[in-house]
Amino acid sequence: MSRAIAIYLALAMLSTLALADDQCLTCHETIGDNPSSLFKHDIHFKKGISCADCHGGNPHLEDMDKAMDKKAGFKGVPKGDDISRTCANCHSNPETMKKYGSSLPTDQLQNLLASVHGRLSTTGKEHIVQCITCHGAHGIVSVKDARSPVYPLNVVKTCTKCHANATFMRTYNPSLPVDQLDKYRTSVHGMRNAKGDFKVAECSSCHGSHDILSAKDVRSKVYPVNLPSTCATCHSNTEYMKGYNIPTDQFDKYSKSVHGVALLQKGDLGAPACNSCHGNHGAVPPGVESISEVCGTCHSMNADLFSSSPHKKAFDDRKLPECETCHSNHDIVAATSQMLGVSPEAVCSRCHTGQQNPKGYIIAKQMRQLADSLDSAEKAAGSLIEEAEQKGMEVSEARFKLRDVRQARLQSRTMVHSFNEQKYRETVDKGLEVAAIVQAEGEAAIKEYTFRRLGLGIASIVITILVISLYLFIKRLERRQRTGI
Amino acid sequence: MNTLLKKLYAWVDERVQLEDLVQFLGKKYVPIHRHSIWYYFGGVSLFLFIIQVVTGILLLLYYKSGEALAFESIQFIMSKVQFGWLIRSIHSWTANLFILTAMIHMFSVYFEKSYRKPREITWLTGMLMFFLALGFGFSGYLLPWNELAFFATKVGTDIAGVVPIIGKPLMVFLRGGQEVTGATLSRFFGFHVAVLPGIFTVLLGVHLILIQRQGMSEPLTDEGGAGQPQKTMPFFPNFLLRDLLLWLIVLNLLAILAVFFPWELGKKADAFASAPAGIKPEWYFLFMFQTLKYIPGKLWAFDGEVFGILLFSVGGILWTLVPFWDRRSQRGERSRLMTYIGIFVIFYIIVLTILGWTA
Repeated sequence: MSRAIAIYLALAMLSTLALADDQCLTCHETIGDNPSSLFKHDIHFKKGISCADCHGGNPHLEDMDKAMDKKAGFKGVPKGDDISRTCANCHSNPETMKKYGSSLPTDQLQNLLASVHGRLSTTGKEHIVQCITCHGAHGIVSVKDARSPVYPLNVVKTCTKCHANATFMRTYNPSLPVDQLDKYRTSVHGMRNAKGDFKVAECSSCHGSHDILSAKDVRSKVYPVNLPSTCATCHSNTEYMKGYNIPTDQFDKYSKSVHGVALLQKGDLGAPACNSCHGNHGAVPPGVESISEVCGTCHSMNADLFSSSPHKKAFDDRKLPECETCHSNHDIVAATSQMLGVSPEAVCSRCHTGQQNPKGYIIAKQMRQLADSLDSAEKAAGSLIEEAEQKGMEVSEARFKLRDVRQARLQSRTMVHSFNEQKYRETVDKGLEVAAIVQAEGEAAIKEYTFRRLGLGIASIVITILVISLYLFIKRLERRQRTGI
Repeated sequence: MNTLLKKLYAWVDERVQLEDLVQFLGKKYVPIHRHSIWYYFGGVSLFLFIIQVVTGILLLLYYKSGEALAFESIQFIMSKVQFGWLIRSIHSWTANLFILTAMIHMFSVYFEKSYRKPREITWLTGMLMFFLALGFGFSGYLLPWNELAFFATKVGTDIAGVVPIIGKPLMVFLRGGQEVTGATLSRFFGFHVAVLPGIFTVLLGVHLILIQRQGMSEPLTDEGGAGQPQKTMPFFPNFLLRDLLLWLIVLNLLAILAVFFPWELGKKADAFASAPAGIKPEWYFLFMFQTLKYIPGKLWAFDGEVFGILLFSVGGILWTLVPFWDRRSQRGERSRLMTYIGIFVIFYIIVLTILGWTA
């Protein structure tokens, strides 16, 4: 260990001595140009890397013409992709990086080229983003340094240099919004970030850094299926979230919910991820007044019916969040008929009791009865069809009709939100009618199955009698032939 | 009643000389020996073919060819047409039993060496009918236009396309284009109900006439060798009545299969869907399909698949032409080599079919 420290110190001293002899810096400081003054604070300067390491030439010669001669290896200011290549000379070389005592990864350029920024620019001569686009050139400091353009509190500004520039973005992706920064500043993340909280999410927290991919790319951290895990990186980390006073079980609840199962297990991209309800760049928890609007983005019929129902006013008066009151939020489960009615597990019974609100109580009870009757009719018809299928009967038409019953059941689930018994009954009746037809077809198929077996039995008896008779006839015939009678 | 029948017989006899036929049949005898049982498989195959024709015609009354209608029309036959389910199931089961009995018939003829002079043409017509029966199976399999049939046809015609020189044009001809589409269905329907039955009927006519003219072949061991008198039975009515007895049993078996194991229809074919896992051809093509799977991609200078197809083609041709190169049997001598070849072929078919089935 002590040997390693001694080698490191010797190297550091050598590099300081070498830099003391750096004629590039000496001369450029004399001129008083910006790059040389910035470079004095640059992490590379501190590590003993000279101007010539990037620009070439001989830093030990006092004669400028000789020092900056191409024969001396002078390259000048790297252009286009040469910029990133120059950085990668060291940053993609684990040996070199190790030599400077760096623990940085060495796949940044590789990731950058594979990222959405790794595409060719509109000129077709270089990639859209070079290392210096985000990190700067001569004043590069560690990411952890508050002066770095990629420091959590600065990165938003760095990204939006391009991403908030409509003219620039139009040349690459005209459909991509350019208001991310505006939205971000309205979000909880953005407001805290603006106040100096470097722990809250900024662009790179969700999108990544060198490896940023389009949100439509399945590998992207913000692709719908991956997004909940991305949010959970912080929001499920109890240690990290300490001090924010918000729960950390959202992801656990969500992943078990009907939405989470649909998205994460079934891969249904139509199912909502965190951003569908909270927003993405402008992420905030929806307020009581806007929950039904948020849910109504997808469940529009339910939201419309609810808004025109008597419950709307009742909920508003009591300041109850509309959908959430009955369905909860992150752990929403598939709605069942058990939610309806006046039984203890029914959500209606939380407010409606026989004494306090008899009208609502009776309606809830009647609606539950209707729901149960449709459920059992569908189940009975379904099991009959299944039985017929198992018996090998062709009942695909009835099976198809069964979808209409299911459709009616789903419609009735929506119609519940009108809290109008008459309307609800009409929807349920449609389903019951079709269920009766399906049931009749199922019964007919099972009867036909019995008939077929009976028919086969009779046919087999007839054929067996014929076979025996024929056998006896042949025997008698052959006996006669043998005896010549 | 008897008088009426006699009058009717006399009426017909007066016009078509029926008596000559009765005389001919009356003089026709079938040898009785320990291998006589195999004689019945030709008759059973004929009976099954007749069932195929009858049930096929009945299905034609409701079947509609075409991508949009084929599947639905079979669905209609299965669910709405009175006894449509029975006719369709019997047609499908008979198709399989027909190939099985034809195969048994073919092997029994082979092992009895009944193809030897003067029955070379009978063997040839039989073999051609067997190939046509496979064609019936292949073309009929697609007609319900279900998922399995669609992809099996795709694989089958793909394999045909591998044959050097003629493969590609043959595949395009079979498919009616580059892909399996409604055009393939139309031409398979045409082959199944018009082209193949037409050719088959002619061959069957020749086959039956030859059998009647030449009589039943006797095994080599029993043919005059010991100089003992042959045991025989009259073809009419004895053999025919026994045939009839067996046909009744087969009919009952078909009814049982149709009722207890109705032929499934599956899902409608969708050209854009991915092929279901473990797609296999019908059992009678399975041994060839499985062999092709075992042959490596590259075999010496040949493409493995091409090699396999050529191997089966050459094997099929040699098998068909066996009366012309099995010299020992032609001379009336027993040929053990031919028997061993036959046993090997049966063993190979059974083992590869089982492997293909369980794969």
